Amino acid sequence: MILVNYLAAVALFGTGLYVLLTRRNLIKIVMGLSLMEASTYLFLVSLAYRAGSTAPVLLSPPAGKTAKQLAHGNVADPVLQNFCLTAVVIGVAVTAVFLSVVVRVAQHYRTLDADRVRAMRG
Amino acid sequence: MAAALGVAVAGIPREHAALPLIARYALEIAIPRWKLTEPVNEIVYGTRGFDTFGETFLLLAAVVSVIVITRSREPRQGYFGESAAGAREQEQDDPAVGADATAQRARSAERLEQRDQASKGEGLVETPDAVPLGTPAPERAEAMTVVVRTAIRVALPILAVAGLYLVVWGYSPGGGFPGGAVMLGVLLLVYAAFGRRKISRVIRPDLLETLELAGAALIIMAEILGLVFKGSFGANWLPLAPELTPLSGGVAQLFSVSELIEVATGLTIAVFALLGMSHDWARDEGSDSADRGEEQGR
Repeated sequence: MILVNYLAAVALFGTGLYVLLTRRNLIKIVMGLSLMEASTYLFLVSLAYRAGSTAPVLLSPPAGKTAKQLAHGNVADPVLQNFCLTAVVIGVAVTAVFLSVVVRVAQHYRTLDADRVRAMRG
Repeated sequence: MAAALGVAVAGIPREHAALPLIARYALEIAIPRWKLTEPVNEIVYGTRGFDTFGETFLLLAAVVSVIVITRSREPRQGYFGESAAGAREQEQDDPAVGADATAQRARSAERLEQRDQASKGEGLVETPDAVPLGTPAPERAEAMTVVVRTAIRVALPILAVAGLYLVVWGYSPGGGFPGGAVMLGVLLLVYAAFGRRKISRVIRPDLLETLELAGAALIIMAEILGLVFKGSFGANWLPLAPELTPLSGGVAQLFSVSELIEVATGLTIAVFALLGMSHDWARDEGSDSADRGEEQGR
């Protein structure tokens, strides 16, 4: 059933890409990029999932199991959760940079329409 | 393309696959080597500490770019008040830009808010509770209503303590990244409820930027000293307290705390730099007079 999560992540990524390619409003383009970021979070966390597993916390293991058993047995993959944590922070930082660029573009050209930002047009 | 994607999807580990080797390794050494009962923290600050190290400086680079992009040529002290600083240049350059009646009212309200000494007279009120109902927009009060202020007064200490708890109790889920995000939330709530003046003593570029770089320096030090004392970058060189105590992670906890400083100040700088961003009125030097002519013709 985890396949559903993967497909949802692909769908999210596709939606983000579609928004990115078809919209001209710069804010919407940044939103599309954020959607694509979100799809990677979903994908990483889904990758970490294991059937019937517990959270990778060795603090108070479920009844009848010791921390040592947990380490060998059925927990979600902590490395991928670490990746997701990294991705979230990078996503926030990159979005902040994008938005500040968009504000400057809007100030300079008095428009958010990517089509009317003419300086880059050959 | 579709075939390649299909093959890739078919190869993805499903929910019954065994954990990868690195995950098993991290789970096994979490308690013996780091005395951490939380493998995610152990991986973030221990096993894959180098990764986190790189990520920290990616965050720092992003914050520096936001600062560079948002900073104006007019001199300024704080994140807000940029348009007041550029008032003279605006007057010379473009005195009547977008000046219909609503924009004028909004702009004068903003100007009032940005003048620190203008709290008496001049139409700026402390809280909207003093404004009669039905007064047309824009809102001229600095703070929010008593309902919002009380709610935030109650929620703030809880949030702040919860954020610090996430960091201090490093052997349970949490750590510097979520803690830093919570700290940003605390500052934004104060800003939303009580207005800019209440936070202007904390939210200052010089203070925040110093703290940010101090956090980065602390991270470099924590990781480099592992190389000095233990012969490998990021190795633990601090004495390990017994597990389930705040100090049980050794260097991982030091890393986590510096990451709290780094993330909290970095995100705060980025958010307030964006919030305080306004038009840059000073003329560009040199080459782009033609560009400017085109802009005015539009």
